[in-house]
Amino acid sequence: MTSISFRPGRRAVVTAAAALPIGVALAACSSDTGAGPDLGGDASDGGGAGTPFGDAVASGPVAADDVVSASAWATAIKDKDELIRGGTLANQVFSLASTSDGPPTGFDAGITQLLAQYILGEGGAEKVEYIDTTVETRETLVENGTVDCVIATYSITPERLEVINFAGPYYLSGTAIQVRTEDKDTISGPEDLTGLNLVTQANSTGIAAIEEFVTDPGDVQTLPDNESCVAALKQGRSDAYVLDQGVLLGNSAADPDVTVVGEPFVDDPYGIGLSKDDEDALEFCNTFLQEIIDSGTWESLWTATIGEVIDGEAPEPPVPGDLPA
Amino acid sequence: MSAAAGTTRHAPRAAHRRATHSATQVLFDAPGPKGRRRIALLSVLSAAVILGLLAAGLWQFQKNGQLDPAKWVVYLRVDYLAFLGRGLLGTLQVTAVAAVVAFPFGLLLALARLSRFGALSSVATVWIEFFRGIPMLLVVYAFLLALPAYGVTFPRFWMLVIPMILVSAATTAEVFRAGIKAVDRGQHEAASAIGLGRRDALVHVILPQAVRLVLPSLILALVTLLKDSTLGYVVSYNELQFQGKTMVSITRYLVQTYVVVSVIYIALNFLLTRIALALDARMKARAVAS
Amino acid sequence: MEAIAENVPLLLQGIAYTVALTLLGYVLALIVGTALAVCRVSPIPPLRWAATVYVEIFRNIPLLSLLILIAFGLPDVGLRLPYFWCGVLGLTLSSAAFVCENVRSGINTVPVGHAEAARSIGLGFFGTLRFVVLPQAFRTMIQPLVNVFIGTVIGSALCSAIAVSEITWVTQTLNIQYAQAVLMFLVAGAVYLGMSLGGSALGGVIERAVSPDAPTGRSRGRSALDVTAGAQA
Repeated sequence: MTSISFRPGRRAVVTAAAALPIGVALAACSSDTGAGPDLGGDASDGGGAGTPFGDAVASGPVAADDVVSASAWATAIKDKDELIRGGTLANQVFSLASTSDGPPTGFDAGITQLLAQYILGEGGAEKVEYIDTTVETRETLVENGTVDCVIATYSITPERLEVINFAGPYYLSGTAIQVRTEDKDTISGPEDLTGLNLVTQANSTGIAAIEEFVTDPGDVQTLPDNESCVAALKQGRSDAYVLDQGVLLGNSAADPDVTVVGEPFVDDPYGIGLSKDDEDALEFCNTFLQEIIDSGTWESLWTATIGEVIDGEAPEPPVPGDLPA
Repeated sequence: MSAAAGTTRHAPRAAHRRATHSATQVLFDAPGPKGRRRIALLSVLSAAVILGLLAAGLWQFQKNGQLDPAKWVVYLRVDYLAFLGRGLLGTLQVTAVAAVVAFPFGLLLALARLSRFGALSSVATVWIEFFRGIPMLLVVYAFLLALPAYGVTFPRFWMLVIPMILVSAATTAEVFRAGIKAVDRGQHEAASAIGLGRRDALVHVILPQAVRLVLPSLILALVTLLKDSTLGYVVSYNELQFQGKTMVSITRYLVQTYVVVSVIYIALNFLLTRIALALDARMKARAVAS
Repeated sequence: MEAIAENVPLLLQGIAYTVALTLLGYVLALIVGTALAVCRVSPIPPLRWAATVYVEIFRNIPLLSLLILIAFGLPDVGLRLPYFWCGVLGLTLSSAAFVCENVRSGINTVPVGHAEAARSIGLGFFGTLRFVVLPQAFRTMIQPLVNVFIGTVIGSALCSAIAVSEITWVTQTLNIQYAQAVLMFLVAGAVYLGMSLGGSALGGVIERAVSPDAPTGRSRGRSALDVTAGAQA
């Protein structure tokens, strides 16, 4: 266990628990690690077997040998016995790190582990190297082969398709709006954003969405990362944070001070970013996505992750290979 | 009440006096009874103002609930420390690798700039002035965004380390150049008097002395490298600042995390600066003694 | 090229922000830094200690960490400045530490006899500093202060991380739009190089004006080996 001899007072534990609404559901935060939120899922129960997330991953398919050997990209991964994924490990809903050697949890983390298991076979879900990427660095790191793939709430856009390939979509998200919780009743869509100060990430789909759907916004700030954007929103530097829903859901799951409002107003299909040099990777990953959709794994993964923060049943899965024009 | 000043000034040890004696120490007399009273009064006043400012700062923290012990004690937890520790390790790694490559590279640049071949010298000069005059952030962006467009890409580690090397080599080149010039002229003459050629004189007589002279400055160059490594934030390299950012995202303890991260940087750099200053003082004292 | 032609106003605005950040940060740093240096050599212990602690903190903290703390940390304790002024504050706080140490080290180069002479004709602490020591120290401080200026120019680029639309921010934004990274890199590089080399040249002119007999090359060499001011990044 990661606890040290220090024992916080009772008040500290209560405060910490109050600061972590959804961590309980996703990260299975255990109180015996002392005060403060866990830095991720707990090794014993975070993503392991017996949890809905762990079971969803364990139920995934394994590719037949000839399927793997037909793909040079998959064969190379099998030969090094490790999948290198680019992404974040700081999204409560899609991909959250564990500090205690457990696997990351979340929808993207699940897709990653399923892909690794699909290629590497039994136990493959644990053979993933997670490399941190940001919105600004994703394309470059896929292109130059630092990572085998990027699975990171990564919206498929025509501009990005010029530089890299996308397998999928594997999830249909949309550009949405996040506001301070106290403003959640006054802002419900892009039409309410006129004149307000907005924030989004540099190099993200939020910039184009604001240009297209918001008439006369106030100051539009772009910051290099999600953490700064959330801080800018909470501290009142901006009134709304525009980005794809996947990231925003992660924020409100971690922080009760911010809330996602209204319905997504631009489609943001998430894909698996792949290098154009790996010609057969695209087809291989699409086959993989189709298999986890057909076997019902996709749905149980959705229920174990995104389903915890969105009401209702799992949506109809997208059709892999069906890219936006 | 005599300041550091007063005591050294009246110290009988001549060598010591010459080594440490300077204008800062004779700006005011050892004060008399009246002066001493005035200094005491001003001391109390200024101490009160400084403490007042500190208290106001702490009060602001308290008022906004940022002093809540629960938000601070978590940094004593093993998993939090390990998380930041991984970042610190990354910081130290890039700094070490960058230094090992940049310092020799800087020396070569300095020699090239001092070379008698006009072309070589001007190329080195342009190179040095270029990388001294532009922000490292821009060089990092060049490696992250510009070069990949031409199919030239590097792993994350090198996307951070190469810009650090380029910039640091340019600044250390100037340090080496100053060091070489600071070696006494008589050393050049003595070397040629015993029949050493220009190159032999450089390698066997001048450089060994110059490198010793610049050692404190090189330690400071390490401090600069350590600070520059925070740009790992941009290339998604897991150094301390980047780890801190991820931690903020998960814990939402923003001020606390960034304060802890900054304190780690300050402590490390403070240590390095102290070493550089101590080394410098020792060398100066030795120079005076001989 | 169209990326430049179509965005002249934006680029000019970026250059204006970079210049404003640098000049404001530098001028304020000169004032604060000199005041700190006076504190550091004063006979009043609490002032000396406070100035020393200040210098140790702000010359050793990476500028990026400092900017992020000011922009996103301070609001959490009740102080929210506009991004631009966060940038100016960060540059000032950091550069002032280096100004302070360079001024102090400049004071040290003034021969002891001059200060003793000043005191013997009845000048007090401030009189000695103001009329005798600082004017002489100024000459030797020019090159180090030019280096602090270059440090401020370079540091201003980091303000792009806190949404100040200075030239690095503008060129990176345009780069995403037009995918002409090399062109944008050259534009931004030219701005910074122009400012640092301009600052150097101006420093040289001032140095020659105040001390016609001292060759500039030598003083730059000396400042490169002076470790008292620490390392600016």
